[in-house]
Order: sequence, then C-alpha cells, then structure tokens
Amino acid sequence: MKKSYTKGAKISNSKGSRKTILNFLKGLLKKGSLDAVLIPMRVPAGDSYAWVLIKDKKLLDDANPIAPIMPVQGANALSSCTKKGKGNLKIAALMRPCEIRAAIELSKLNQVNLESVTLISYDCPGALPMSDYLQDPGEGEKVFDSLLKKRDRDVESVKPVCGICDNFSILPASDLHFGLSADSRDNILLIPNSKKGTGLLNKMDIKPSEDISSWAKNIEELKKVQEKKRKERFEYVKDMVEGFDSLVKTFSACVGCHNCESVCPVCYCRQCYFESETAKPDIESILLKTKNRGSISLPADRIMFHVGRMVHMSLSCVSCGLCTDACPVSIPVAELFSYVGDRTQQTFEYRSGEEKGEPIPMKTYRKEETKGINELVKGAEG
Amino acid sequence: MKPEGKDNFTPKIVGYLCNWCTYAAADMAGSSKLEIAPELTVIKVMCSSRIDFNMVLTTFFNGADGILIGGCHPGDCHYDKGNYYTRRRFALFKDIMKILKLDPERLQLSWISASEGNRYAEVVNSFTEKIKKLGPNPLNGNPYF
Repeated sequence: MKKSYTKGAKISNSKGSRKTILNFLKGLLKKGSLDAVLIPMRVPAGDSYAWVLIKDKKLLDDANPIAPIMPVQGANALSSCTKKGKGNLKIAALMRPCEIRAAIELSKLNQVNLESVTLISYDCPGALPMSDYLQDPGEGEKVFDSLLKKRDRDVESVKPVCGICDNFSILPASDLHFGLSADSRDNILLIPNSKKGTGLLNKMDIKPSEDISSWAKNIEELKKVQEKKRKERFEYVKDMVEGFDSLVKTFSACVGCHNCESVCPVCYCRQCYFESETAKPDIESILLKTKNRGSISLPADRIMFHVGRMVHMSLSCVSCGLCTDACPVSIPVAELFSYVGDRTQQTFEYRSGEEKGEPIPMKTYRKEETKGINELVKGAEG
Repeated sequence: MKPEGKDNFTPKIVGYLCNWCTYAAADMAGSSKLEIAPELTVIKVMCSSRIDFNMVLTTFFNGADGILIGGCHPGDCHYDKGNYYTRRRFALFKDIMKILKLDPERLQLSWISASEGNRYAEVVNSFTEKIKKLGPNPLNGNPYF
C-alpha cells in the first residue's frame, strides 16, 4: 500500500503561479538538488512551445511552466532523453497530469526511465486547441491566463477532451504537486507525494505542515462535475463509433496521414504494422480481396488502421488529445479513443498511468481472471 | 461471387488453431471419420497467443464471415502460459468488437485439447450453424472499408 501524503506547504502566490513555480525550480537548481529541468518554453516566433531541458538558471526566466497549448507530449520529450537508460543528471519534469500518465505508461514499456526523474504535476486547467491558438497566439495567451486565474474549470475554450477530463490534478505517480486551486488565489499548495518529493522540499527547507483537505475537497468536487460531463459527452460519442456504418461515417474524411499515430505518446512502436511492407499488399492480393468482398477502397486499411490502434493502445490511452490537435480534417479522434479506452480499461480493471510498478494488462495475466474478462471469454470451455 | 441471402449461403470461416492441441484435435476428428462442416479453413499457428488483433481484423475485412480461435485449456499450454495471454487478448478483441458493435458473435474462442476430436467436430459444426444464421459479414460490399 502506498503511503498517502496529506500535508502540504503553502507558498505565496503574489507573483503569479508561473513565477512562483519557476522560483521554486530555480532554488532547487541553485542548491544542486536538481541538475536540469524539463520545461516548456515559447519558441522565438511566439506561436508555439517546445520542450527544453534547462541547466542554466538564467534561462529558466524565459520558460513557461504552464503552457497554454500542448504541441508535443511531455512524455515523448522525456522518452527522447531517458529511453536508453538513466543518466547521472537529476532531472525534474514539469508536466501536465496527462503527460505524467503517458510517461508512466511508457516507463512500463521501457521507453522512459524514471529513476533519476522527479515528476512534478499541477492542477491543470486544460490546454487550448492548437488551431484556435495558432489563429492568434496573443489572444490565446490572454484567454489561457484568465483560465489560470479561475478556481473552477472553464471548459468553453479548452480542447474538447480537456473539457471532459476528470484526472487533472495530483496523481499517485507525481512526486511533487502544485495545488493551484487552493483556498485563495494568494497561495499555492506545494504537496509532496513521494520520498523524492519530500526530499526536494527538505533541501529547500520547506516544511509541509499545512492541512490540504480543503484543497482536496475542492478538487474532488470539480472531479465529480467533470465525471458527469464525461458521461454525458460519451453518450454522444457512442453513436459515432457503434456499428460498421457509423464507424465509416465518422472516419470518412480520414486522409490516412497517420498524424494521430505519430503524435500519440503511447503509440511507441519503432515501426507500426500499418506502415510496414506487410501492410502494403501487391496487386494480386488486392484483386483477390476485391473479388472476395465485391469492392475495396484504396489505399487499403484506412478504417482498419483506427480500429487496430484502438485495440493496441486504448488500454494505455491517457486522453491527452494530441491526436485531435494533429488531425488535419478535424475528426474528434481523442474523444473516440477516450471513450473506447475508458471502457476497455474498466474491463481490465486498469487505469492507464496510475501506478508505477503495475504492468500493462497485455503483458500480464492471472490464473483466475477478473469477472469482466471471464464474461468475455465465456463459452470457450464449452 | 457474393453470397445470396441467408438461406443458401455458404459462409467463409477461418480457424486459427494451436499446433499442439486444437490442430491435433482436428487431425484426430478427421482420422476418426467424424462429420465436420466443410466451411472452415484451417490456419495452423504455433500458439493461440500468436494471434494479434490485426490478424483478426484483416481476416474479417477480407471477407471472412466468422473466426474460430482454438487453443489448449488454461493450464495445459505447451509453452506454459501462452493461452493465459490468449485469454486476455481475446477478451480485449471481444470487448472492442462489442464496444464498436462489430458483430462480436462472429469471433469465437474454444479450448480444445489434442484428445478432444469429438469436441472439435461439435464446436466447428455448431459455430458454422451459428454463422449461417447470422448471415454474410456486413463488411462485404461496403466500398468504404
């Protein structure tokens, strides 16, 4: 059983939550408790954000710990530097909860090494859709700033999948958490959630002595509201994927660019089956298929690609919504995958990105399976 | 040639059978001269856990009306634990087919050991009957898939 942490430290928020977070990280770099920080930074053109691993304290001033958009999944950035094993650097990664969950999934698949990484999360207000932000980045920043100042979740301007997110706060996997929606906007709660997190606070001489129950209660209430919204939205999404005809309709505009796959943090395979030579049939087999089925749309496997991806990664889907952002024809891929993912994860009694050590469902088994699984394989015994 | 109506419809059924048990059971059923529905095309696999959902999908999308997966009884796997993985994978396949309403009844898993020739014939015959009742795969003739 994981030890639960119920205390936090209140730190003043007079300079704004972003500055407060940056100052804390700078302090850690100064003390040498951390060697580098993985954090988003606005690109010179001002219309996007990039992940930067920063060792130089001065550069941290230009970083933006809470970026309004999510052009690259933080888990991908983390994977790109820790995939081949842990280094000597002590890294802190400041990421959205969905990015942390993706990182946990990737660590189970040996694509991320978390040994020298401290995961820092915060109460995420959601992210803006890329398309909206790109139209006017300046306006986007303003909209997002106002979201950050609110205590409630405003779902109007964020990505649809953020609007129905019910896992936007502290996670079992986060080492340290910034409770932004504390009682008053004057304070931020700094909550240690693991030995690593407690260690960092000790180095900074911050004592987590405040009770966090009122913050936690607020988060619980917000979560309940979100859960309800999620359910309502899924009722609608359901109709988009149920049955062959709706599936064809939903994906009819798909141009087969595979953007959704390449941005997906948990679609990690070095080579995807659908891009391999095996998936590219020769003329003879195309003709045979046409004969068998009466017709075939080309390039083949357009819809099979999406169904195949649902099977391969719905159990690990963290509902980050990058796929929808990347879709050139605005198919609500993320909501479809969230819906399917929620249901398959329920069957396997698994929640993606929650527990660090737990293996992904397809890499393990039980001799006596759970009720959900037994129900589905009923009839195999005869 | 497209199947004409449910009544005189000859289904195409593909059976992925484990080399160590169900395939041997099929062999036994054959040598015992049992009556087995002829619509099943057998593909031998070294282990039922070798079957990925892409194989299942490809089979369905290429015009099969039903798929039978045959493996060893839990606990009897030639590779010790292969069929435990099969069970999980199959549950996932079935769950996705259920969620997407892609006719989950067209996919069946059966544990049939090497000595169960009779059971093999029974399973194949009843599955074929079931598919005949279900009719042709609705994907056939859909030009967008």
